[in-house]
Amino acid sequence: MKNMIRFILLLLLQVFVLNKVLIHEFVNPYIYILFILLLPFNLPRAALLFCALLMGLSLDAFMNTMGMHAAACVLIAYIRPFMINILSPQGGFEATQKAPSVTTMGWAPFALYAAVLVLIHHIAYFSLEVFGFSNWVYLLLKILLSSAVSFGLIMLYEMLFYPRAGK
Amino acid sequence: MRNLIIFIRRYFNFFLFLVIEIICLILVFRHNLYQRAAFLNSSNKLSGDLYRHYNDVQYYFHLRITNDSLAHENARLRNQLLADFSLKDTSGEKIMTIKDSTGERKYRYITAKVVNNSVNTLMNYLTIERGSKDSIAPNMGVISSNGVVGIVRSVSDHYAVVLSLLHKDTRISARLTRSGNFGSVRWDGRNPEMATLTDIPRNVKVYRGDSVVTSGYSTIFPENILIGYVEGFTEQKASNFHTIRIRLATNFYKLQYVYVIDNLMGEEQKLLEQSAPHE
Repeated sequence: MKNMIRFILLLLLQVFVLNKVLIHEFVNPYIYILFILLLPFNLPRAALLFCALLMGLSLDAFMNTMGMHAAACVLIAYIRPFMINILSPQGGFEATQKAPSVTTMGWAPFALYAAVLVLIHHIAYFSLEVFGFSNWVYLLLKILLSSAVSFGLIMLYEMLFYPRAGK
Repeated sequence: MRNLIIFIRRYFNFFLFLVIEIICLILVFRHNLYQRAAFLNSSNKLSGDLYRHYNDVQYYFHLRITNDSLAHENARLRNQLLADFSLKDTSGEKIMTIKDSTGERKYRYITAKVVNNSVNTLMNYLTIERGSKDSIAPNMGVISSNGVVGIVRSVSDHYAVVLSLLHKDTRISARLTRSGNFGSVRWDGRNPEMATLTDIPRNVKVYRGDSVVTSGYSTIFPENILIGYVEGFTEQKASNFHTIRIRLATNFYKLQYVYVIDNLMGEEQKLLEQSAPHE
């Protein structure tokens, strides 16, 4: 339920706020992937993939990108469990906590987790977007700057909701 | 066989991922699928309506500039009225009275409200509040009161998605007004105010400030619709063509109303061109 609300809120935030704000030609932050990052630990992998597909296609429907966001989302949804495995302490997160967040994972692991997945998503998405445009400097700058801004926004979101998660 | 099943069950997630990913990539690369899958773009009912509500609010902030551009256009059209010219020459009278037997209507303009527009990605689209019920069809040209905007990509009942000029795949056949040479305009993905005109031979003299207009060769746009003005050009030694930077006439930031152009003879021209033998 909480995830459904987050799904809708993040979609609306992405489509009507972030896509409308002109920051710079190289900076297109995508914060909606936070939905995938924050899904519960114990969700089966297949369900994770379908949730990511649904989110990606919804955003594609608004942005006319036809499968590009979906492809990038499914990719990070597939990689997510591996990332969690690498970062998890002995015994894993599943036993004690429900979903990834700063409180359950700690600052550094969560930041690493978010940064890697954001970077992978942005690499996949912008490569598809730039496909056939052949300008490596442009692509690289766009990936790096957009990832930095997206990552900043995701950490900001976590900080805003950090106290509540601690209760 | 049993081993195969065990193998598949063991790597079920990987195969599921592979299947979903391939479906997504098919969607990305099959461009012709785009027009049929209208539910997957912003002309669908839900996103179209949401964008319309959003635009209802946003619209007020652009009222002044919308008004200005409409007033300018009215003035320009008024200046073309025949009644405003004093015709001393009798030949002028004649022109007015001659009824051209071939004067069949070729282009029809349909106004449309822009409900969504983006300028900040490599692939920008507009959503307009006119659809197949208003006789909009794919491949119709779209212009604003200032200049060319884009080409209709897909339609639903009440909305249509327009491929903006600010899209990496858009190519528009263009002509330099002073020299009359033809080229092609595309967007370089950077600045939403600038575009590039290519395919103009190097021996042609290019003037700064010269206007670039549509050529009228394609069935999409009528002739002489403004695209932009020449801002500057570079001569690459290796190439036989100029690369001309043009400043776009349309302000894509504040687009509110556009005209969709229905070429009533387009179908005929296309059929004829297809039936002509290619060597």
